[in-house]
Amino acid sequence: MRSHLVVLLLFSALVSGVFAVLLREDTKSRLRFGLMAFGAFVVSALVVGWIMHPFPS
Amino acid sequence: MATVITETGRAAAIPACLFAWLLPGAGHLYLRRTAKGLAFLGAIGALFVLGVAMDARLQMSLGLDDILASLFSLAQMAIGVPYFAARALGFEAGQVTSVTHEYGNTFTAVGGLLNILVILDAYDTAVGRKP
Repeated sequence: MRSHLVVLLLFSALVSGVFAVLLREDTKSRLRFGLMAFGAFVVSALVVGWIMHPFPS
Repeated sequence: MATVITETGRAAAIPACLFAWLLPGAGHLYLRRTAKGLAFLGAIGALFVLGVAMDARLQMSLGLDDILASLFSLAQMAIGVPYFAARALGFEAGQVTSVTHEYGNTFTAVGGLLNILVILDAYDTAVGRKP
């Protein structure tokens, strides 16, 4: 597994799933919370990655 | 309103927390929250297995000489039996030259940290603070 994007998507999906089950009680709100958290993980990683892009490693 | 913790709830909390530490989701399965337990087992188990597959380091480093390494080891150990089983099966060293080594470290440590939250949730469920 060498694709950074696939690893990001997998990590975000699994962690959001755990948080959704932990923090919400019914299926509908779990689904909504899980999708929101997943989106937040992915978007924030892309934004932070884009901000760091100009800096040399 | 404060939750009244019954003797039965307190008695169930100890094995629930122990099972939850030994295997992610097992505490909830013990408390008959089957769907929740299986969801935790699937998600946290997948995090750990993927982490090991991505060449994570599972070496045990406890002590005060390297605090960060100790905290990292504690986080990984929080996943319970899978951590010790993977070490026993020879996945201890990982592969530092692997492209995904750091991803693997993150997956296994985050899996353990999430399992700490799951253990606390099992405790709350056992004593009646959560349904």
